[in-house]
Amino acid sequence: MADQMKERIAIIDGLRTPFAKAGGVAQGLSADDLGALVTRELMTRTGFAASDLDELIVGNVSQPVDAANIARIVGLKAGLPAALIASTVHRNCASGMEAISTAGTKIRAGEATALLCVGTESMSNIPLLFNRQMTGLFARLMKARTFGAKFGAWSTFRPSFLNPIIGVQQGLTDPVAGLNMGQTAEILAREFHITRAAQDAYALESHRKAVAAVERLREELMVLPLPPKYTAMMTDDDGPRANQDLAALAKLKPYFDKVAGTVTVGNACPLTDGAGAMLVMGESRAKALGLTPLGFVRDWAYAGLDGRRMGLGPVFATAKLLAKTGLTVADHELIELNEAFAAQVLACTTAFASADFARKELGRTEALGELDLARINVNGGAIALGHPVGATGVRLVLTALKELRRRKQHRALATLCIGGGQGAAFCLEST
Amino acid sequence: MSAFTVSISDGIARLVFDLPGEKVNKFTAAVMDELDGLIAGLERRTDLTAVLITSAKPDIFIAGAEIAEIQGIHTIDEGLAKARRGQEVFNRVAALHVPTIAVIDGACLGGGLELALACTWRVVTDAEKTKLGLPEVTLGIIPGWGGTQRLPRLIGLPGALDLILSGRQVAGAKAFKMGLADACIARSFLAEDLPKVISSIIAGRVHQPLPRGVRMMGALGVRSLVLAKAHKEVMRKTHGLMPSPLGALEVLGRSAGCSLEHGLAIEAEVFAKLAVTPACRNLVDAFFATEDIKKAGGKGSREVHTVGVLGAGIMGGGIAWAFSSAGIPVRMKDLAWDAVAKGLAQAASCNDALIKLRKLTHGEKSLRMHRIAGTTDFSGFRACDLVVEAVVEDLNVKRKVLAEAEHHVSDDCVLASNTSSLSIGEMAQGLAHPERLVGMHFFNPVNRMPLVEVIAGPASSPEAVQLAATTARRLGKTVVIVRDCPGFLVNRILLPYLNEAARLVEDGADVAHVDEVISRFGMPMGPFTLTDEVGIDVGYKVAKILAAGYGERHAVAELLKVIHEDLHLTGTKGGKGFFMHAPGKKSGHHLVANPQIEQAIRTSQEHLHRTPHAISDTEILDRCLLTMVNEAARCVEEGVVAKAAYLDLAMLMGTGFPPAKGGPLHYADSLGLPTVVARLTMLEQRLGSRFTPAPLLAELARTNRSFTH
Repeated sequence: MADQMKERIAIIDGLRTPFAKAGGVAQGLSADDLGALVTRELMTRTGFAASDLDELIVGNVSQPVDAANIARIVGLKAGLPAALIASTVHRNCASGMEAISTAGTKIRAGEATALLCVGTESMSNIPLLFNRQMTGLFARLMKARTFGAKFGAWSTFRPSFLNPIIGVQQGLTDPVAGLNMGQTAEILAREFHITRAAQDAYALESHRKAVAAVERLREELMVLPLPPKYTAMMTDDDGPRANQDLAALAKLKPYFDKVAGTVTVGNACPLTDGAGAMLVMGESRAKALGLTPLGFVRDWAYAGLDGRRMGLGPVFATAKLLAKTGLTVADHELIELNEAFAAQVLACTTAFASADFARKELGRTEALGELDLARINVNGGAIALGHPVGATGVRLVLTALKELRRRKQHRALATLCIGGGQGAAFCLEST
Repeated sequence: MSAFTVSISDGIARLVFDLPGEKVNKFTAAVMDELDGLIAGLERRTDLTAVLITSAKPDIFIAGAEIAEIQGIHTIDEGLAKARRGQEVFNRVAALHVPTIAVIDGACLGGGLELALACTWRVVTDAEKTKLGLPEVTLGIIPGWGGTQRLPRLIGLPGALDLILSGRQVAGAKAFKMGLADACIARSFLAEDLPKVISSIIAGRVHQPLPRGVRMMGALGVRSLVLAKAHKEVMRKTHGLMPSPLGALEVLGRSAGCSLEHGLAIEAEVFAKLAVTPACRNLVDAFFATEDIKKAGGKGSREVHTVGVLGAGIMGGGIAWAFSSAGIPVRMKDLAWDAVAKGLAQAASCNDALIKLRKLTHGEKSLRMHRIAGTTDFSGFRACDLVVEAVVEDLNVKRKVLAEAEHHVSDDCVLASNTSSLSIGEMAQGLAHPERLVGMHFFNPVNRMPLVEVIAGPASSPEAVQLAATTARRLGKTVVIVRDCPGFLVNRILLPYLNEAARLVEDGADVAHVDEVISRFGMPMGPFTLTDEVGIDVGYKVAKILAAGYGERHAVAELLKVIHEDLHLTGTKGGKGFFMHAPGKKSGHHLVANPQIEQAIRTSQEHLHRTPHAISDTEILDRCLLTMVNEAARCVEEGVVAKAAYLDLAMLMGTGFPPAKGGPLHYADSLGLPTVVARLTMLEQRLGSRFTPAPLLAELARTNRSFTH
């Protein structure tokens, strides 16, 4: 592919909310609220005229029932003009990245010059649903006209009808593979022989790095107001634990395979609320406006794979990306590889380094390339920071670009696995 | 030129009301005569099937009676004649031999609604501007053209009491639901749907069941129960100080079960009685002043799109709330995030209060809160058209904050200080562009106080003053533009009054008794309860500024000094002031005296070598209120405010001075200025120069003139 023909996508600036543990301090904010807050703040800080935007694109997974086309709601709540069009994109865990790459595609196609890309998620606010029996009863009641018919309908009621369907659990389950995400991680742990001890050690490291990075991470954060009372503000991510240790991690029971499993809530990413936003333009446009972008997206790739091994998504997507860019893994000085599960990250590092895997699965003659653990997720990953699914893609790009800048380095890889069996990979450059 | 045009086609007569040379339709005596003649003409026609009354004014059906004519009523007989004439004409409308239909597409108020009530049928539109109501009580009178009689007959006594006693206006759809209107149609489809409604009416196909309120009234005792409850509510709200709602209750009580004719006679009698009360004069004056002040200082400022607020305290949060509620995005800055949270919490609580009253939904609260963004730096201030400073009341701090802000705002950004008493001129010193600074004094609590003083400093540009005034009006506030002087207008007049109350106590009056006497006069609370609410520390600070500015006349009372400096009492917020305040409990009528105050009074009496003596209620009233009057006179004299009427309006809105009393200057006029001067002179001889009558006051008294007429 003629890489040099494609324009790089300039990220003018980006911002995210602190990530909050689901069911915690930010539960008063819906996904559209989170997206609107970060959008308004980013627009204010960049000073970019909203009238010069061509579109608002929002990635979100568990789209709230009271915010159809959440992008439109985000835009209006953020005070963006009614004339600004807005669309919502969905690629499950990569929805935030999808917002950016959709914008990139539109820019390259000449359909847009400046877009606002948002990823947002409030896992606190994913509703419980009535189960099939209860909704069936409701349907019968609606049809029942007479008292007798109504009585007949009610008489079918059983207490089990009130067992709710937990929306967030359903969302994290692959209905085709019949597995929830944690179970896919257990599969990888077995296939790649990632022990419980190795997973816990990796998780501890994620917390250690995130705790050490609090000051640095503030450079990408806005401060979040907390409804309904607004009596406090959230200034930092609340996931990282300064006092985390291996003994505490070891005490946790396996969560997904309670009999023989290795994946616990301690070595998996927690449910999280959060949002991120980026102002995106073509490189030439940014130059013409005299702007100094935070960095650039050189190119991106998405890849599909067996849903039961969805955690290997980064391996497949990166292989595809490198084929597009002609670069090697070693050409990327920093790597953000999303930590859905410690087992999944470690399985990826093994697969990246394996020539055998490359031959069998990627159609390559040699290994994709060693992932140097010292260059991965240097400011901590989702195990510590959390994984608000729709927002994470934006965070990976933002964190990587900010860190490249701090280190005065040039190129980073941001990649993540996607529930249902996909992977995403972005090649990022600072200059 | 005639106010009505009449056209007749297909047996339907259309009376179109279009008062020449006016934006609104209203009933003057001449219009009334013209209508009378027209109806007389229609009475003789035998070819009619219906009569339609409509308006040619956009958004207006009939706004009511000409209020200036109410001002012209000087005797009971004139009042009676005024009411009787309207009743007679509307009776004539009601007695027409064919159905009459009022087509109400716009404001239909007061006499306008009374005409509509005299019609057989009322058709309303759903347009936003379609509002029906009887606002007479707010002007100190009652509906005098049949409204008190025809409304309860149509919608029942409880509904009628609600509308008449509150002066509340209802929208078209609501009017239809409550039985006030017989049909409600969409304004856009008026042309298509009105003929259908008319033919249904002519064909006798439109019915309205008598509302439950009407049917129930037949039952024994229900009527008197409803009236007693309404009376209790009126007393609770007005403490009996407003004669008009009581007058309305009198009419409805006395006319219960009477014939319409007899009821109208009672209505006219009470109307005439009320129309000559000082309360009516004062309220009508206040109404005109409110209309007039909206235009004061010109119009046409550039529109504010984004506002910055510096300081996220109670005031900053309240001000941010006010802007966000008007749809204006706010950037609110304070030094630390904890402080920013306090401002957001304050804004949230203003919204929560509205939600509790069902005047706001949770969704609207969310949208308003989204418009307030917190910050601890000046990011985003470059985009602000107006920055309001609401930091601590300290000249040096304010100067520093404003000077710093000046570096972060655009060249044409207006800076405003929400100071309650500091000089804008002094504050502007050190600014690179002193012309962009004005005062914008919001009253506390911002969400409940309707007044904003816009202060023009000596250097303030007219454009900046204009922008502040226009923007405050956009927030729904009444704006009074005042000259830069210590305390500006309201506090300059209010503080000496609080000060004098303290001196009364030093001289031997009882704290709770002074509060009671003043409350009985009609102030929403007594001076000591008010001082506790405002905060003794805050009040003391302002009093000191005034003392520094005006010298001896404003010297701070010894008692306040002792309470503030020795006892460190702060009032409601600290739990203890002149009274004890339980935390979380709203201060009501039964305040318990703080035992510490007694000691403080003794201490200050010792300092002053003063022996307490008994003080009459008259002296309490005179010393408190004439102090206000005297200072108000000085403000007029010095041109602090453009008109005496504005001063009184500001005192009504800024201090809760009883509206029926019209404000301090109206109050002085009602006493008679020579009397005021005589009493002040007596007080001056006994108590010193602070009571020396203001030169303007003495001059007006000498030449037999008044402040307000």
